[in-house]
Amino acid sequence: MADLQITTRHPLRHSFGLLDLAVYLRRFWQRRDLLMHMTVRHLRGQYKQSILGYAWAFVNPLSQIVILSFVFSTILRIAVPEEVPYPLFMFVGLLPWIFFSSAISSATDSVVNASSLVTKVYFPREILPTAAVLTKLVELSFGLMILIVLMLYYGHPPEATSVWLPLLFFIHLVFTLGLSYPLAALNLYFHDVRFLVGVVLLLWFYLTPIIYPVSLVPEKYEIIFDLNPNALFVNAYRRVLLYGESPGIEKVLLGALIAAVTFFVGYYLFKKMERGFADRI
Amino acid sequence: MPTEFDVREIEFLDVSKRFRLAEGQSLREFLPRFFRKKGFAEPFYALRDISFSIGRGEVAGIVGRNGSGKSTILKLIAGVTAPTEGEVRVLGRVSPLIELGAGFHPDLTGRENIKMNASILGMTARETAERFDDIVDFAELWEFVDTPVKRYSSGMYMRLGFAVAIYSNPEILLVDEVLSVGDAYFQDKCLAKMDEFKKSGVSIVVVSHSMELVTEFCDRVMLIDGGHLIGDGPPSEIVEQYLSIVPHPVETTTN
Repeated sequence: MADLQITTRHPLRHSFGLLDLAVYLRRFWQRRDLLMHMTVRHLRGQYKQSILGYAWAFVNPLSQIVILSFVFSTILRIAVPEEVPYPLFMFVGLLPWIFFSSAISSATDSVVNASSLVTKVYFPREILPTAAVLTKLVELSFGLMILIVLMLYYGHPPEATSVWLPLLFFIHLVFTLGLSYPLAALNLYFHDVRFLVGVVLLLWFYLTPIIYPVSLVPEKYEIIFDLNPNALFVNAYRRVLLYGESPGIEKVLLGALIAAVTFFVGYYLFKKMERGFADRI
Repeated sequence: MPTEFDVREIEFLDVSKRFRLAEGQSLREFLPRFFRKKGFAEPFYALRDISFSIGRGEVAGIVGRNGSGKSTILKLIAGVTAPTEGEVRVLGRVSPLIELGAGFHPDLTGRENIKMNASILGMTARETAERFDDIVDFAELWEFVDTPVKRYSSGMYMRLGFAVAIYSNPEILLVDEVLSVGDAYFQDKCLAKMDEFKKSGVSIVVVSHSMELVTEFCDRVMLIDGGHLIGDGPPSEIVEQYLSIVPHPVETTTN
């Protein structure tokens, strides 16, 4: 139970510093119970009225892997580095991308969709986008099952360096959360945000080396990929899972730095806007 | 008016709340206005320089005409919205009975929704487990506890929402006209429960159009009109003042 405390509700345009941020994060952590409930609620709501239910979580990645493999290995024939079959190469990039993009779009709508709750009861609002992102972990785990089956089918079991995966994915998750917070908040102020997010995600998909290897990129455009955190993560996943290479300490540190900065800035912006949420719905 | 209660559970210090009416929510409407620095909708004050405090264990009523700002006060106490100017201080756990069941998910069962709503109100899993039976007993919904709440009647829905809020162990209870729904039997049950709260030192803030309820139940009543606090005193006095400002006094009752 929340301990007895004096809560002072200051005027809207009140600023806060780093120390307040720590207080907010602690209160958020105290409500992890609610976060779990919200996540389960999301999941139940998502597939409840469908006949296939959770099977849909398989259908989406499966259909994408089939069609993209057909187009890019049978028609366009993209050359991928040594010994890794194209479907496998592509899927290792596609899977985290599906997680990232579906989490971002779902989180963007999360606060708007909970308007009836937001105008009535107070709870740390960041629970809503966080739950939306966590919900997508379930779909990701279904996708991982497909990936493992695929790897065994192609006789290419995961390399020992795959022990890096949990850490890499954790950094990716923190980055995803950091982006989802300000988007969820801004979407309350401008409903344009959800459409903008759709467009940006589409462009981002093509600018991330998912359907092609980064080695095909002409040198003068490489800067785009160096600046794209998702490219960093996708490349790292491939190295550890498919090629048995270390992701490179400096790349991991860079990813962690980007993720941490995104998270704190995003969370700060969200908390800053949070106080006006109920007036905006 | 100073209260006789020593601990100030709720304090409003020169609180104003301003809204902008009819403000659009798309960039197309926002950007031109932003660059011209004008043309924003006229600000509207829902509350203006309101100051009062409510002591521990006090039952305060808030009355006023529709749109006078009563519900905004409750939202400020609940922490759902922030003041534009001034400060609101709240000591203790607030449980709002504002539109019960706002957190219910239609596809989840009564049991699942109890856990969900209790968690929204800040109860831990253990507290919820301990009080689960009491909640279902109070709502009298044992038969339907494993039915999705979308199959519930509106009365059942409300009963469940009320029961969860009642057992969330609030230190401050906010009641917004909820007693106007539900049958007389359940209303009496709720009033009895609220009486119990009153005796155990829970502060209660009641917004109601029912002068009967306010007179019977509250220690003190505040009258809000046009966002201003125009009266604060014993129920009988304020009810009289209220009836004098309502153009055609129509007695509404909770029954």
